[in-house]
Amino acid sequence: MRSKRTVAVILALVTLLSACAPVATPAPQAAGPTVAPAAQPTQAPQAAKPGEKKITFWHIGSDEGSQKLIQDSVDRFIAANPDVQVEVVPLQNDPFKTKLKVAMGAGDPPCIFPSWSGGPLYEYVKAGQVVDLTEWMNKDNYKNHFVDAAINQATFDSKIWGVPVENTAVALIFYNRQIFDKLGLKPPQTYDELLDIVKKLKDAGIAPFALANKTKWPGSMYYMYLVDRLGGPDVFRKAATRTGGSFEDPVFVEAGKRLQDLVKAGAFAEGYNGLDFDTGQSRMLQYSGKAAMELMGTWNIGVFKGDNIDYYNNNMGFFPFPALKDGKGDPSDVVGTIGDNFYSISTKCKYPQEAFALIKYLIDDQAVAERGKAGLIPPVKGFMTDDPVLKQVISIVENAKNVQLWYDQYLPPDLGEIHKDTSQALFGLTMTPEEAAKQMEAGAKKAFGK
Amino acid sequence: MGDTFMATAVSDRLRKPRRRASQREYTLTIVLFLLPLFALLAVFIIWPIISSFQLSLTKWNGITTAREFIGFANWLQLLRDPVFWKALANNILIVVLSLVFQLPIGMALAVLLDKGGKRLRVFKTIYFFPLLMSSVASGILFKYVYDPTFGLVSSFLRGVGLGSLVRNWLGDPQVVLFSVLAVICWEYIPFYMILFLAAMTGIPEELHEAAVIDGATENQYFWRITLPLLYGTIRVAAALSLIGSLKYFDLIWVMTEGGPTRATELMATYMVKEAFQAFHMGYGSTIASAMFVIIMVIALVVLRITRRKEA
Amino acid sequence: MSIGGSIKRSVIYLLATLWLLVAGVPFYFMAQTGFKKQFEFLTSIWGLPKQFILTNYATILRGNFFHFLANSLTVVSVSVFLILVVSSLAAYVFARIRFGLSGVLFTAVIAGLVIPIHVTLIPVYLLTTRVGLYDTLWALVGPYVAFSIPITVFLLTEFMREIPRELEDAARIDGCGPMRSFFTLILPLSMPGLATMAIYNAVFLWNEFVFAFILTSSTAKRTLPLGIWEYQGQYSANIPIIMALLTLSSLPLIVAYLIGQERLVKGIMAGALRG
Repeated sequence: MRSKRTVAVILALVTLLSACAPVATPAPQAAGPTVAPAAQPTQAPQAAKPGEKKITFWHIGSDEGSQKLIQDSVDRFIAANPDVQVEVVPLQNDPFKTKLKVAMGAGDPPCIFPSWSGGPLYEYVKAGQVVDLTEWMNKDNYKNHFVDAAINQATFDSKIWGVPVENTAVALIFYNRQIFDKLGLKPPQTYDELLDIVKKLKDAGIAPFALANKTKWPGSMYYMYLVDRLGGPDVFRKAATRTGGSFEDPVFVEAGKRLQDLVKAGAFAEGYNGLDFDTGQSRMLQYSGKAAMELMGTWNIGVFKGDNIDYYNNNMGFFPFPALKDGKGDPSDVVGTIGDNFYSISTKCKYPQEAFALIKYLIDDQAVAERGKAGLIPPVKGFMTDDPVLKQVISIVENAKNVQLWYDQYLPPDLGEIHKDTSQALFGLTMTPEEAAKQMEAGAKKAFGK
Repeated sequence: MGDTFMATAVSDRLRKPRRRASQREYTLTIVLFLLPLFALLAVFIIWPIISSFQLSLTKWNGITTAREFIGFANWLQLLRDPVFWKALANNILIVVLSLVFQLPIGMALAVLLDKGGKRLRVFKTIYFFPLLMSSVASGILFKYVYDPTFGLVSSFLRGVGLGSLVRNWLGDPQVVLFSVLAVICWEYIPFYMILFLAAMTGIPEELHEAAVIDGATENQYFWRITLPLLYGTIRVAAALSLIGSLKYFDLIWVMTEGGPTRATELMATYMVKEAFQAFHMGYGSTIASAMFVIIMVIALVVLRITRRKEA
Repeated sequence: MSIGGSIKRSVIYLLATLWLLVAGVPFYFMAQTGFKKQFEFLTSIWGLPKQFILTNYATILRGNFFHFLANSLTVVSVSVFLILVVSSLAAYVFARIRFGLSGVLFTAVIAGLVIPIHVTLIPVYLLTTRVGLYDTLWALVGPYVAFSIPITVFLLTEFMREIPRELEDAARIDGCGPMRSFFTLILPLSMPGLATMAIYNAVFLWNEFVFAFILTSSTAKRTLPLGIWEYQGQYSANIPIIMALLTLSSLPLIVAYLIGQERLVKGIMAGALRG
């Protein structure tokens, strides 16, 4: 028996030694540029040599394509700044949120970190964890490089706290052109026309909308549009900034009612509150022809393209959320984000200037061009693309009089959670619109203290 | 083999001088053997528990260095928090259903494998699979299984004409907890199976032979001999199941995140949401501390009640 | 055999086979999905792949897979070894030696069973960074061992309690002290328990995710569970590749189980008793 344990010890040592070997060699070069650029000398977590500056850079472009986009920028920065060592850490979205909080709570945050701007970023700002970038953004009028709306999303207390980088994404109604053609349907201009389409699709045995609402944010898009179309952007803005508005405003209640009417009309394919967008369950419904439409952010274009180029070419279409005739909102308004991922610098960073310089490389001309090729719409002024689909999206965004940031990104985090919870409950018909509005208002009073 | 063992032991001892183990040797053994354990416990368990109780008395968003001391305000809020009580109720439901399903089925499988011996080696390997799949893997897979349109469960029911029984397995608040519970049971039954199987190897084959000679049926042998001999293991398995169910997190998080609308909220998921999503680290710590107290009390009571007198 | 007996037998075999399917089919689907491309998967989840394409598995193997595998192997084998050592020593004391503080100390072990690990994230993270172990594999070993010990001690104590006292008494009479008794008698007889806990802990730690992502950051230090990140973006996930990775990740566990199972053999006790 003792000899067996010795064997176990030896095995452990052997595994140990064998594990040392792969770490030394830069691992995945073989597969070329599309493979994650890991374990290269510039990223190995060695202690910085004296005189050398070290920056940690976390981002959430965890998939290979996104990693490459960012790594290219980092490489260009390093080439121009050889005295700076950059540790790039690509993380997946959800674990990232927890990891960042743990790091901040322990006083050990990364130099550069992403956020989606809005309320959650403001929490970090209020906690004194974010560097004020206003001065650097104003230098050489760098901020003019960006679309104004994007800068506004990261502006609090008249200061700029983050740099918009990744993508412009707004929610549009994607639809299957072939199903529409077969049934003689055309993209609706008004909400009533949409309701008519819903009815015709149901009669043909096709679910009008595919919705995967387990994570709550997909469903909240419908609610946000209804509020915006009914009352215009001021209703939400006044309630959310506590400047004379309230979440119990009749517009919010009416939006909830219309939403539940839509649910009761059977507009959503079965199981919506239990389906997960990330595991493709709403796409499954569309690919199989069982559902015809989905209200979703324009990143979906890239997803469809990646899944199946034929579907992308022959079936995929989109139109803006239609107008409500009895509503005060402007039908050109969109709900979405200009910038998507914003990069900020933490106050504990030892080399904030170098960090800012690195961020600039993330959105320099070459990076902008590469993102365009990857199907993204970087939030910079004068962005041009040859892609006809992206051109459509850009024109929709440019014509919009107002871009409403997703509520759960705009509001402080706990209120954002209440918004998501109440909208999911509205979808599940387990809460009345009045009750939802009441909870939001109560949450807002608690969150803002007024 | 047994004879050789004892023979060597005896002859060994005849050669060495006799010595009574001293009290000091016992104390030394106790200290030395327990030291590594308690060093680790102190650092990784005792300290965080204390820290969590401390934090429960503060209002802290988790990202600043400033923590505001607010006394027992969090605890008062907890007592009045309907979400917490719903979560606790959900946990208790999981406790009961897990005990009812996981242990008996695990035991049944262990008995089967024990009897089957080498012939059932393939079964033994495949029965293990649910445990070795990570919750990410099972979570994703069972999401598809439960899909109302494309999933196996719904397709099967429709196929055999029971289409009316199809539900929104993961979206209907009435059903969702049970749907996920089925997966939890599926995942943990192999654990109890292996546990009971290991315990059964300690029961010598001769007992079975003797019982058969005395005319006992398989049934009688199991209920009157095997089961009582396994009492200690069953007790421990039940305690583990109890504790595990009260602190459960993984599959619920992956499959429903506590939703829809809190239908599957558990104490652990609520705690993580408050501490790491809502920037309420102080309140999250309160939930965690309350969890700790509740589970400790229940566990210690159950262990006390089921304690057997030492032979 | 009576009719009743053979009906009973058939029912048992039927149920056993049913459970075989319930236990095995999900794993099969996971493996099968790895052979499809995303679009085929989303349009036909359960069906056989039209073509068993190998590109998913190839992409994974050409990527960081072996790197992550080596990391996981190192961390888990070292951890499991330490867990067994520390736990068997402690379990012996709790099972066999009566002393005053025994109850209190065992309660501390139960506290370890009860604590929800998210509570320990920030303290452990703080400790790890202060000790300078952040972003190393060794950072994981501490928490892995510490959080697996309670359940291991809890179960091993029970296993050791069930070893008949007569054996130990005999040894005691012949002057065998508690330490010697442990190494030459109790430990060998605890093999089924040790094997069981080795398997359980190996499985649990192999799939462990939370500490792995909190305490490491560079890709070079990641373990297998974090490997799926490369195939998950912000807004979509390549499910077939993820399934392929998860399948490959399970294979070492199956091997470990097959090896560990060998120890769960009846008769070890029988031999000892006969003497």
